[in-house]
Amino acid sequence: NPIYDKKATTTSQLKMGRFNQYRGSCIGKTEIYMLCDKVQKDDIEIIFRRGSWKACGEFAQTDVHRQIAIVFKTPPYQEQDITEEVEVSVVLRRLSDQMESESVTFTYLPHNPDPYEVKRK
Amino acid sequence: NPIYDSKSPNASNLKISRMDKSCGSVLGGDEIFLLCDKVQKDDIEIRFYEEDEEGGWEAFGDFSPTDVHKQYAIVFKTPAYHSAEIERAVTVFLQLKRKKAGDSSDPKQFTYIPQIQDKEEVLRKKQK
Repeated sequence: NPIYDKKATTTSQLKMGRFNQYRGSCIGKTEIYMLCDKVQKDDIEIIFRRGSWKACGEFAQTDVHRQIAIVFKTPPYQEQDITEEVEVSVVLRRLSDQMESESVTFTYLPHNPDPYEVKRK
Repeated sequence: NPIYDSKSPNASNLKISRMDKSCGSVLGGDEIFLLCDKVQKDDIEIRFYEEDEEGGWEAFGDFSPTDVHKQYAIVFKTPAYHSAEIERAVTVFLQLKRKKAGDSSDPKQFTYIPQIQDKEEVLRKKQK
């Protein structure tokens, strides 16, 4: 069995903590503050997933605060004309070894709340 | 001159890096994520204040030590402003402050937004 150094950020378990919000428009660009355990700013990505759809949260290395928080923007959902809320999974993933954290649920909200316009289309 | 150990969290400078919101209700209770330089979870407070000729006002953000994340982030709730009946937005300051040493960070602005009130009610109160 391999021996892992639990304190090393290159092999330690990835873990997400609280988000400041868990809901946002299907257009994306919702700014999220996520607390997490130690991550390397140049070796981490935030993946949004549902079924075969996948997209990444947008942030720069300067948006990773002291290895324990990431401020990022949500990606747009694959469909922009959803009429009901859609739940997707969010995970942290380390680029170097592709290790993933447990997932958290994020809810995309319809952009156009007017059902008549949707019907007209 | 005193010599500080810059690696000790008690001596390093306090600094607010980022907050997810800079405005909220005059009634307080808004949750804010604040990212900061190293703090000790049991020796830090978030002071809201206003300075004026009549002596000013101060109140403190509400959080417990478990809301301090890894010494570099704090999730807290805003205090209520001293008056719930403001007619337009009021901007105050907030800063990190160490309880024991009393030193504080540079301030950031925070804006209290009035409650939505029906105007007739406001007028009626004024007439009384």
